[in-house]
Amino acid sequence: MESGVLSTLFPAENFSLIAVILGMPLLGAFVNGIWGKRLGNNAVRLMALSAVGVSFLASVVSFASLYALVHASGVTKGEHGESMHEHVKLAWTAWEWMHTTGGKSVVTIPINVKFSIDALSSVMMLVITGVGFLIHLYSTAYMEKDKGFARFFAYLNLFIFSMLVLVLADNLPLLFVGWEGVGLCSYLLIGFWYEKNENASAGKKAFIANRVGDLGLLCAMFLLAYYTGALDWTGIAAGADSLATTTPSTGVHIWPIGGNQYTNFLSFLQPKVPITVTGATGVAIMLLLGCTGKSAQIPLYVWLPDAMAGPTPVSALIHAATMVTAGVYLICRLSFVFVLSPFVMMLVACIGAATALFAATIALVQTDIKKVLAYSTVSQLGFMFLGVGVGAFTAGFFHVFTHAFFKACLFLGSGSVIHAMHGRVHDDVKAQDIRNMGGLHKYMPITFWTFAASTAAIIGFPFTSGFFSKDEILYKVMVNRTLHPMRVAYEKSHFDYFSPPPWLGTVLYAVAILAATMTAFYMCRVFFITFFGTFRGWTVGRPSALAQVEAAHGDHGHDDHHDEDLSIPGYAPHESPWQMTVPLILLATMAIGAGILNAGLFHFEPLNNWLDPVFESASHAGVVDGDPEHHKMWSLAAPGMLAFAIGTAIAYWMYILQKGGPAKKLAEAAPGLHALVYDKCASTSSTTTRSSRPSSRSQKRRRPSTSGSSTPSSPAYRSP
Amino acid sequence: MSATDHDHDGALEAESPPLHVKPATFAAFAAGAVAMFVLSRFVPGSFPVLLAAVVGALVPGKLGRGDQGWKVRAPMAIMAGLLALFVVRLWPATSGMDIPDGPPPAESASLLSWLIALPILGAIAILFTPRQAVQTLRGMTLGIMLATLALSLPLLRVKMGREFHFNQDVVWMKDLGIHYHVAVDGISLWLILLTTFIVPIATFASFGSIDKRIKDWCFALLLLEGAMIGSFLALDLFLFYVFWELMLVPMYVMIGVWGGENRIKAAIKFFLYTMFGSVLMLAAILYLAYTYGKVTGGVASFDYFELQRLMIPRNTQLWLFGAFALSFVIKVPMFPVHTWLPDAHTEAPTAGSVILAAVMLKLGTYGYLRFCMGLFPEACAEAAANLAGVAVLGGILYGALCAWRQDDVKRLVAYSSVAHLGYVMLGIFSASNASLEGAVLQMVNHGISTGMLFLLVGVVYDRRHTRQLGDFGGLAKVMPIYTALFIVATMASVGLPGTNGFVGEFMVITGTFSSTRLGTFNGVQAAGAAFGVILGALYMLTAVQRMFYGPITKVENRHLKDVNSRELLALAPLAVMVFVIGLFPNIFLLQIRDACARVSSDMSARVEMNRAPLFYQGPPTLIARKPEATKLPVATGSASTALSSK
Repeated sequence: MESGVLSTLFPAENFSLIAVILGMPLLGAFVNGIWGKRLGNNAVRLMALSAVGVSFLASVVSFASLYALVHASGVTKGEHGESMHEHVKLAWTAWEWMHTTGGKSVVTIPINVKFSIDALSSVMMLVITGVGFLIHLYSTAYMEKDKGFARFFAYLNLFIFSMLVLVLADNLPLLFVGWEGVGLCSYLLIGFWYEKNENASAGKKAFIANRVGDLGLLCAMFLLAYYTGALDWTGIAAGADSLATTTPSTGVHIWPIGGNQYTNFLSFLQPKVPITVTGATGVAIMLLLGCTGKSAQIPLYVWLPDAMAGPTPVSALIHAATMVTAGVYLICRLSFVFVLSPFVMMLVACIGAATALFAATIALVQTDIKKVLAYSTVSQLGFMFLGVGVGAFTAGFFHVFTHAFFKACLFLGSGSVIHAMHGRVHDDVKAQDIRNMGGLHKYMPITFWTFAASTAAIIGFPFTSGFFSKDEILYKVMVNRTLHPMRVAYEKSHFDYFSPPPWLGTVLYAVAILAATMTAFYMCRVFFITFFGTFRGWTVGRPSALAQVEAAHGDHGHDDHHDEDLSIPGYAPHESPWQMTVPLILLATMAIGAGILNAGLFHFEPLNNWLDPVFESASHAGVVDGDPEHHKMWSLAAPGMLAFAIGTAIAYWMYILQKGGPAKKLAEAAPGLHALVYDKCASTSSTTTRSSRPSSRSQKRRRPSTSGSSTPSSPAYRSP
Repeated sequence: MSATDHDHDGALEAESPPLHVKPATFAAFAAGAVAMFVLSRFVPGSFPVLLAAVVGALVPGKLGRGDQGWKVRAPMAIMAGLLALFVVRLWPATSGMDIPDGPPPAESASLLSWLIALPILGAIAILFTPRQAVQTLRGMTLGIMLATLALSLPLLRVKMGREFHFNQDVVWMKDLGIHYHVAVDGISLWLILLTTFIVPIATFASFGSIDKRIKDWCFALLLLEGAMIGSFLALDLFLFYVFWELMLVPMYVMIGVWGGENRIKAAIKFFLYTMFGSVLMLAAILYLAYTYGKVTGGVASFDYFELQRLMIPRNTQLWLFGAFALSFVIKVPMFPVHTWLPDAHTEAPTAGSVILAAVMLKLGTYGYLRFCMGLFPEACAEAAANLAGVAVLGGILYGALCAWRQDDVKRLVAYSSVAHLGYVMLGIFSASNASLEGAVLQMVNHGISTGMLFLLVGVVYDRRHTRQLGDFGGLAKVMPIYTALFIVATMASVGLPGTNGFVGEFMVITGTFSSTRLGTFNGVQAAGAAFGVILGALYMLTAVQRMFYGPITKVENRHLKDVNSRELLALAPLAVMVFVIGLFPNIFLLQIRDACARVSSDMSARVEMNRAPLFYQGPPTLIARKPEATKLPVATGSASTALSSK
């Protein structure tokens, strides 16, 4: 009955509820941005929370409408005889935006401000508003003392708005609005504490790295406009065939530039056969460039670790849960273009696997808790790329979904820890250094348990959400093969086309297992060092009179650094207030339980069925499932579980049984290797404290920039 | 750690207590809401306007001592309401412009003449006003400019389409074939409005910083406005040349008298560069008119539409095209004749820079689009690929790299102009429908965003009397509103989607890729132009970081005042326009569209008729008059209708 009312109020073709979903965060950003300072913190909090909260409720209602619509729509038989729904959308055209020309026979391409909710974007929308709301709630406590409270929430609301535009957009230019909008918010929030030059530089770096990706997206747009004559999803899908036509003249000329002939003295540049690629490959490579920029993959991953300069809730929301997964979302969204180019699919998978492994190695030795999580995000995004690269779009997207919960929970947990550390350690670098933590499970039980739950999820503890999603990816890497959808036509016309080598799946599988093992190790390392052992931050005990005076005037923002003698006893680190722990508990619950939505091992896959209509055309055309009856599922899950077990066991032995001794010895035995792995994040010299054996080069560089504020002089500063 | 514990924390609460609404305020709001609701029932479409006015009135906060609230709030409310009205009235319906049925509104033939005459008459009136009456001078100037703005609004009531409108064609010098001929089409429409919109803003802002020779200043500004409007409207080449040269004089004086330290050198450089081009153009104009006279065997003609009929052999055409193009390219400016621009901008007073960047440079691009492409289509087609290469390499990429290495923020913005106008020129050279539309829109966009940037630089220059990036740093802490406005302008400048810069760049780039005028290089040109967006972010964000972020290193910067009411009033409409064009570009594009289609199809028709590489080789002849051309005035009508057949 309810859906009946909904469908009359908001018909599928004019689903104006989207205006509420998008409008509320925008209103929040506007009000908080312009009047925030005059309204005061309480009003800002009210505005920000209600904006995202209402948006979330509207999203839930929209999801319900879509669910009703899907079940009311026709049912078709899927590939394996299972029933499948049509790909239905709830669409809303706000206004006509602009137009451009394109297409082989030049046509006018209207570009409208049109939003649509389909199966894929509905899930993203719920994650963004839901996790976004929790992080907003968390931030109300975390940022409470900050002078830029209103500014922070204005940016955060603007981010939610941009992210929603990104996922709800019905055409590529409108997606680009959200795409750059989140980039702008990311820039503003990374440099939120702009008075430190490093933060501002990190923000700029993020924006420019993203802009390099945007170049790709722009090029993809004009190629798509030219080849398909459309820029909205339906139109691109309809015209996708013309991307893969075989005549060389319709391809994208790579060399010589523009298909020109070099006849004079430059003739040595002239190849025998001009190098061309199909339109599909050109578009997909350009899109991939955009995706690597946004999702921090090789080669554009460099900005994400630096982005940790922003406040921790920002790292959780933008640089873990939502924005960085936009690249994966775009590949999923345009999956039917990507499958037209098996070469680019292979490239996606290889980039993903390489990034997963590479980032994991860096994460092994980082000592800044947020840096570890940042590299782990890069690594997990690599897993997602690997998944979509082998044509397992649902698996890749499912990892986006579960990652949003467990990584947000991990970041918020680390924020909770940092918040506690800031009780007495006022330097950002020291407060985030895991070597100064330890034994926190006694003082912060809720943070401990939620962190434990999300760590279990990320390392693939059996039957947590991360286990199911990562396992699905690993399984698909082994069994899937991407082949050219036009292979029959190509063979008829004797056109050379690319097929990925058959051994590729095995290699990628091995790399992914290795990366998974490392993930288990470094996450357990952080977990053990932070929460077990003895507390190393300061001497815990009855505070002396002096320290009480110090604590009483605690009216400092995050930017005030006054050194405190940490050997004087002080209060134990405290658990965070409810605004911070409630989101942690909810996210941890999801981190454990969300896996049930796509538990392939138990043949229970509601999410898969839900998303099938979106990916049907792509996976049907270009992906061969080597194991349609799922016989190998359990046998291929075994190495994954083994990876988890080995990684955890090594970390347990090293950091619990041996108290970190082997790690130290290892670093001393191979200082060059350690420094090499450690310094992969050397791009910002000042935000990291150097390892125990810094090279003379890095010492020289550090001295002028930190000017004594973080010299390791305090007795608390011990290296493990 | 409860919420109440920390309510007293931070400097922010000291000036603003937590939300505390007085009953009276609440009642006022409620009454206002009811009144708005009632009014919107009676006057349809008034709700967004009223809402915008209320929001506009509420936006200004505490602006420092001595500023009375209503003096800012009232103009802000009016401006916000008017801009909302503008959007509402021009809201594009599905089938083009929402023009009521029935006969189109009458087009007053003298409207355009008044548009030109009003500022010039105003300038003359200024001459008869006593030098000491500073307030009267300022009020008069601003009043005349606002009247011109109001007078230019009726142009929007007409759907432009392919034709020219508000045509006025009067014989001026009969024996020489010189007419006073003005008309407006979709291409010049928005440039006229840009002029009438920007000039009052720049003038208003300049009253805060110009304090000597007010009378001369006001005279120069009004004369300049009249000349610029005249150049955009003139369809007689002689008339165009008169306005084109007339425009030069006030700007030369503005740089030379009110400029910075090296103002004389910059002014002379500016004058010489532009003069060099225009003299060549004059020669070409005379040659064209003479040839026309020779072909017809009658009187020469300077009329645009008549000269369009001339079919000139390739060699001659290339030379004539070269003379015209050089003049326009210097004005744009394009590499390698751009070197006058950074100097002129750096030395010019703020208002001069704003007008120079926002309007005068557009005369170069507009001139190329109207006169070069209209009169010499074959030559344009032949040169397009190479010139587009220059626009991409020398404009978009080289300009951006130069901007990146500047330490003087005004020089930086000047080089960014070179880069942005590279996009415009690329769009014009590509000559596909989308790229031409994008180019025309980008002309307006550049006027808005660069004008805003120059105004912003002027704000900080007035306070610190330096423009070196190294002298700033950490300004975000002391000037938050200024920073926010600067970031808005920056984002418009780097072409963030949602702001105006994106729409123009996007259309230019996609249009370039589908263009057929660039040989086989369209893909490379488009990719190169797309690469420019990275460099754009690079130089603008570097400047933003050096100016606003980091710690405050200089003592002088510690107590800088945020924007005052005058500066806010000048900047606010520009900031709003950034988003209006970015979000609702169709308001603008629907007027531009058909005129651009006309230009590109005219060009294609001529180029198809005379195939490359040789084009037309015979003696100069006449072809038929364009169907869109305006009717000939009665006096010469009989003479040339007889000749109109080929």
